[in-house]
Amino acid sequence: MGLFLTVAVRNLLQAKRRTALLVTALAGVTLLLVLLMALSAGLTETMIRSATAISSGHVNVAGFSKNKPADAWPVLHGIEAIRRKVADLVPEATSLVVRERAWAKLISDRHSLFVSPTGVDYASEARLKEALVLAKESDYKKGGRDVVVGDLSKLAEPHTAVLFAGQAKRLDVEVGDDLTITAPTGAGRTNTLDVRIVAIARDFGFLSNWVTFLPRQDVKDLYQYGDDTGAVVQVYLPDPAGSEEVMGRLREGLAAAGHELMDHEPAPFFMKFERVAGEDWTGQKLDVTVWSDEVSFLKWVVTALDAISVVLVGILMVIIALGITDSMWIAVRERTREVGTERAIGMTRRQVLALFLVEAMLLGLAGTTLGGLAGAGVAALLDHARIEVAWDALRMILMSDVLNLAVGPGQVAWSIGVFTLLTGVAALPPAVRAARMQPVTAMHHAG
Amino acid sequence: METESMVRLKGVVKEYPLGKLKVRALDGVDLCIRKGEFTVVAGPSGSGKTTLLNMVGCVDVPTAGEVLVAGKETSKLDDRGRTLLRLERLGFIFQTFNLIPVLTAAQNVEFPLLLQRRLGRRRRRERVREMLALVGLEALLDQRPNEMSGGQRQRVAIARALVTLPGIVLADEPTANLDTATGMNIIDLMKTLNRERQTTFIFSTHDPRVMEHARRIVRIVDGRIAGDDGCGGAAERAEA
Repeated sequence: MGLFLTVAVRNLLQAKRRTALLVTALAGVTLLLVLLMALSAGLTETMIRSATAISSGHVNVAGFSKNKPADAWPVLHGIEAIRRKVADLVPEATSLVVRERAWAKLISDRHSLFVSPTGVDYASEARLKEALVLAKESDYKKGGRDVVVGDLSKLAEPHTAVLFAGQAKRLDVEVGDDLTITAPTGAGRTNTLDVRIVAIARDFGFLSNWVTFLPRQDVKDLYQYGDDTGAVVQVYLPDPAGSEEVMGRLREGLAAAGHELMDHEPAPFFMKFERVAGEDWTGQKLDVTVWSDEVSFLKWVVTALDAISVVLVGILMVIIALGITDSMWIAVRERTREVGTERAIGMTRRQVLALFLVEAMLLGLAGTTLGGLAGAGVAALLDHARIEVAWDALRMILMSDVLNLAVGPGQVAWSIGVFTLLTGVAALPPAVRAARMQPVTAMHHAG
Repeated sequence: METESMVRLKGVVKEYPLGKLKVRALDGVDLCIRKGEFTVVAGPSGSGKTTLLNMVGCVDVPTAGEVLVAGKETSKLDDRGRTLLRLERLGFIFQTFNLIPVLTAAQNVEFPLLLQRRLGRRRRRERVREMLALVGLEALLDQRPNEMSGGQRQRVAIARALVTLPGIVLADEPTANLDTATGMNIIDLMKTLNRERQTTFIFSTHDPRVMEHARRIVRIVDGRIAGDDGCGGAAERAEA
């Protein structure tokens, strides 16, 4: 192998311009792939962060209650017992949070907006306090100051609300204004509740379009729910990667404890109303989901980005693969006599094949390593720079107002490995041709 | 003195397709070359001498007839078998030197030993130094072919051909690209190696000055043996 490496390295160095061109092209595509992968991973990370801060735990135990078959109330009775059972089943959980879920209309002096008021117990919402960043007045008010007004901690007081900047803009309200919330109750009546806006948070992408935070008790009052009720127990784990396993464990444990469970459907709770209302049962069923189920309607963003990445990088890679194949054809043609000589003095066909493949894969390794490391560096720099996303639409899609990129050694190693392998595959036809060459070609020029 | 037959050709025919025609490059060649012989295959261009060397060198197989090299019939061997036979038993010297341009003189000579995988690194290096010393190039170990003269390159090629201690060395017009003095030096070197190491040399040429040095001359015309000093007569001719 040492001999092959020596021959390969020196041949690559001899064809300096060709090698430099191909290494640069490979480095460029690898850099692009690593950047796109970093963007996709950053988007997924942002999605987890915003989903688990705003509307979901890593794992959720929620469900529906039905007094009659056509009902679909997102509320669970005996929530405290359910919370204790969940705590027993998931001892590694870093926190458990009980929330209320609803669907209601926010009415300001000039406008109205349908939202999903989320009832929170402010004291237990450490994660939410950390995730929500208050918006500057200028973010939601025309002619507003570049200062933050409002106080998130006042959400602990009754009849208060925290909105997102986009909602405040649409409702044309600011901190200190009053809103009326109207919601249909179980008895067929519509209840109303007046609340004061105590804080306005910076937008969190799509999710902040329809989530509004109220004290838990306010949501219960609005719907006239009893004391021991709640919509969801949100479970937070030390590592979100364990969500699926914990979901499975909870489903088994809760079923064993006598709870009825809905079939798992990877969709957010508000997309299940119609299905539940159409089912012929009454009582209460638990619905266990993971964070990605609750934001499944947003997964298209990551899927689309991944698809674009695959297509874009795929097209570029095909072009480069053709370049590598062509370059290796030239190398084989240029070195016909050399191959003939090597075959004549005792090199087997397999060794000739290996010689050219080693050469191509060295080229691939050099280009992809260069591109992979450069890509990781650029991604880390861009992430560190916290570049603000200028367009609202893009902010919605990225679910963040700054560009987030996440790159790990695994992604870089994967890119290097796959592209190096592809380089070898691209070199296969000329390498096979070289291996099939008859040694008589070496002696062909005399006699 | 009866010596071992290294190469034997029996009724060898070689035909090449040329469009719809078939060109007969060898036409029923019978030849026997014994261990230690220093044989020239002579003939004009296109006479078939390179084809004959290709047959003996196992880089081509006959259309008809038998080629036995070191007792093995080459047409019955597969590609790998012929490759191994070349690696173990044969050494090649080419008209255009055919050194690997990206390797140094020492690496070029070491190349067949690396393919053989028989010697350890230290013994390999010793053998390479010994061979380059034998051809008078011990000072040019680290030179690349493009840094050497034609004569030096051909000496490296000879060292490469001999490094595996093969029974037979085939040289296809080894002096054709060299000036007369250098060519004669190369022939002298080959003769010395033949005498001292009992290596069988078979080389092709159409240069009468080179032929003068041969101990046996096989003349080939239109693919047929037109004249041969014959087995057994070589030594006597050389002495004479």
